[in-house]
Amino acid sequence: MLEQLLIFTRGGLILWTCKEIGNALKGSPIDTLIRSCLLEERSGAVSFNYDAPGAAYTLKWTFHNDLGLVFVAVYQRILHLLYVDDLLSMVKQSFSEIYDPKRMAYDDFDETFRQLRIEAEARAEELRKTKQVGKPVSSVKKQGQVSKPGLEGGNKRVSEGGSKKDDGDGNKAKVSTLTNGHSNGNHQMEDDSQETDLANGKENTSSNVAVDLSKLQKLRSKGVRGRGGVRKTDSIGNKSSKVAAAEPAKKATKKNRVWDDAAPKQSKLDFTDSIAENGNNDHVDIVAADQGESMMDKEEVFSSDSESEDDDEPGSDEKPAEAKKKGWFSSVFQSITGKANLERTDLGPALKALKERLMTKNVVEEIAEKLCESVEASLEGKKLSSFTRISSTVQAAMEDALVRILTPRRSIDILRDVHAAKEQRKPYVVVFVGVNGVGKSTNLAKVAYWLQQHKVSVMMAACDTFRSGAVEQLRTHARRLQIPIFEKGYEKDPAVVAKEAIQEATRNGSDVVLVDTAGRMQDNEPLMRALSKLINLNQPDLVLFVGEALVGNDAVDQLSKFNQKLSDLSTSGNPRLIDGILLTKFDTIDDKVGAALSMVYISGSPVMFVGCGQSYTDLKKLNVKAIVKTLLK
Amino acid sequence: MDNLEDLKIVTEQWWKQGIEFVQQIPPSQLYTAIGVLLLATIWLLSIRLFRRTKSNTVLLSGLSGSGKTMLFYQLRDGSSHQGAVTSMEPNEGTFVLHNENTMKGKVKPVHLVDVPGHSRLRSKLEEYLPRAAAVVFVVDALEFLPNIRVASEYLYDILTNTSVVKNKIPVLLCCNKTDKVTAHTKEFIRKQMEKEIEKLRVSRSAISTADIANDFTLGIEGEVFSFSHCQNKVTVAEASGLTGETDQVQAFIREHVKP
Repeated sequence: MLEQLLIFTRGGLILWTCKEIGNALKGSPIDTLIRSCLLEERSGAVSFNYDAPGAAYTLKWTFHNDLGLVFVAVYQRILHLLYVDDLLSMVKQSFSEIYDPKRMAYDDFDETFRQLRIEAEARAEELRKTKQVGKPVSSVKKQGQVSKPGLEGGNKRVSEGGSKKDDGDGNKAKVSTLTNGHSNGNHQMEDDSQETDLANGKENTSSNVAVDLSKLQKLRSKGVRGRGGVRKTDSIGNKSSKVAAAEPAKKATKKNRVWDDAAPKQSKLDFTDSIAENGNNDHVDIVAADQGESMMDKEEVFSSDSESEDDDEPGSDEKPAEAKKKGWFSSVFQSITGKANLERTDLGPALKALKERLMTKNVVEEIAEKLCESVEASLEGKKLSSFTRISSTVQAAMEDALVRILTPRRSIDILRDVHAAKEQRKPYVVVFVGVNGVGKSTNLAKVAYWLQQHKVSVMMAACDTFRSGAVEQLRTHARRLQIPIFEKGYEKDPAVVAKEAIQEATRNGSDVVLVDTAGRMQDNEPLMRALSKLINLNQPDLVLFVGEALVGNDAVDQLSKFNQKLSDLSTSGNPRLIDGILLTKFDTIDDKVGAALSMVYISGSPVMFVGCGQSYTDLKKLNVKAIVKTLLK
Repeated sequence: MDNLEDLKIVTEQWWKQGIEFVQQIPPSQLYTAIGVLLLATIWLLSIRLFRRTKSNTVLLSGLSGSGKTMLFYQLRDGSSHQGAVTSMEPNEGTFVLHNENTMKGKVKPVHLVDVPGHSRLRSKLEEYLPRAAAVVFVVDALEFLPNIRVASEYLYDILTNTSVVKNKIPVLLCCNKTDKVTAHTKEFIRKQMEKEIEKLRVSRSAISTADIANDFTLGIEGEVFSFSHCQNKVTVAEASGLTGETDQVQAFIREHVKP
């Protein structure tokens, strides 16, 4: 049964709610929908799941872009209502006929709605009956679910709202074995439901992270298929426990690889000098003289000369030649009259061209696709204003959407946070994580330099105890910048080193502790576990994911896996996820700045710093307008 | 040489003709003509000069969930209809405030703009600020303390905005949802906001030469920040969007949008 159906304006005023169904909604599903889905440019998605203590809802929506109305239907997730999409479009049609901007109350719509609902339910019943394949199933509703794989997949199970993820996974295990045998179309729905469940858990616990886990599910299921596709429910607990079991055995027997040259076996590979300096190290003692202002503090000056170029572009966009002739004339005609309602077919070519343009700028393909869907959802049905072409309307809408995504959702004023932590007499702990070779140690030094310029006392913690030379590298930086460094050499547990570093910082009154960690691939289970242990043990104030701007489609994988692992392996109820992104090697890409967009979209966390060079001053803030302009150029 | 002479002669002739013509006009007509011209120029100049301060735009800003849309509809229609959800777009309207419908005499309509509070839509506020005559900053008096940091940052950004400082736009700190029992008082809210802004001021001006985030700094050096230090007037009021208690807000609006 439908829990609620709302009609509201884009400005926020509720125009009509169904009074027959008097249930008050638990929690605030509509607000959450708007904040984490519609404003996050995910309005192209099929549905949205919301968990509140005591209820689990699924929400579906549709827009009437011309009148600026939003229609949202809320229903319990355990029910699988087939008629919701149908109902929403019928409601949209009939309501737009009676809509008047001056009217605020639409009580007469109750009757219309009731009839529409009965009609929709009846139609759904009919469809279901005709598609019955006669399989022996437990309930009629499930039948309908099985036979329509294209619909949003709601799994038939009891979901305790707000349940811990483990329980959720366990439940899924039970049910999927039931439904597994029934149809092969189940796979996609499983994906959706799993995705949405995980999404809920995250929505609940950290409402400021909009993690897109559909990618995650696809990857996970891919892995399952590779192993024979037996159990679709690979709950992460199982997977990791298996690997963990294999781990200790492996570790005990790890030997040094002996190459053919049969080099003499070294008893110890740790070359760190136990005490500070030998005579050889004197030549690096040159303190880094003040190298000037860090670029963080310089105002970004960018030319606005390319604005006029944008208008000339659309002509070259319509690549298909035959469509060009027909499309050009009709679009010109439409642009002058400006009366046509935008349809999906009209938006299609323009959006396709835009998506390709984004992809040439190194934006991940799936993200470009999602963005285009979202823009399409927001433009469909809108009236074209006169003297504008479709492509320019689409461009403007996309620009809006990009600015919205790249604008940080919360304040990224680190200095303020540092001051707040200072007042509480605790050091502000920043942990740099990322895959191998992205520039963590280099950028850590840059951040330290910047903080130092702002009269903040910094301390470095060398928790990269794996890579040879990592500790020395940090030591050199520390010496040049004249800041204390806490190190314990190699082959030590990074979590413990970090803990001791923080204690040391509290003792000697440092304001900020910058923790360097070893680079690790997102697939490497033991390393991710170690990272998660470090974060759980030390509860840092800021987890900074360092990603390079050169990364391509792997960006999505990296970020989503990091987030997933951090949340799964977290011991507390409130897992610490990635709080911010540090984008490095920005000077090496000319205008292929798409990695920034991909990373922000997939993780929901803002870009706090941008590394644009290899000296201490090459650290700046992300200039949203410049990036958007470059992306759409 | 000749050409120059010719030109000179021609211009002299024209000049003489012009003077004759002017002298022929009866003096009264001449004076009225000049008078009308002067008056017209003075009128145009004064319109241009004074139009800015005659702006009738009032902005409703504040965090998401503080109740701006409800207040907007209360001020406009006298009722908040069926409630509101998070706004995705600004609500604008030019109208006479609801309570003033019954007032006699000419009342100037107010252009009220409800700017969404969601952080992703923060840039919309920048568009409206230059033309604003007054700003109402709505604060949720119930859920005040959990959001105080974000609210104070927002308020700080507004108070240090170029347009606000240059045009001395008055700001009303409106404590909404005061109909609930557990809502904080306006004095408490004012004190807490002053404290938070003081902290912000200190942290942002300690790095003043390097910091370009805000165009201006607030308050007086060496003294704890108080709203009375602001060059534009900052006052505090209470309101309730749900029950319709918006008298203080309406008084503020009426005060600053003079008919």
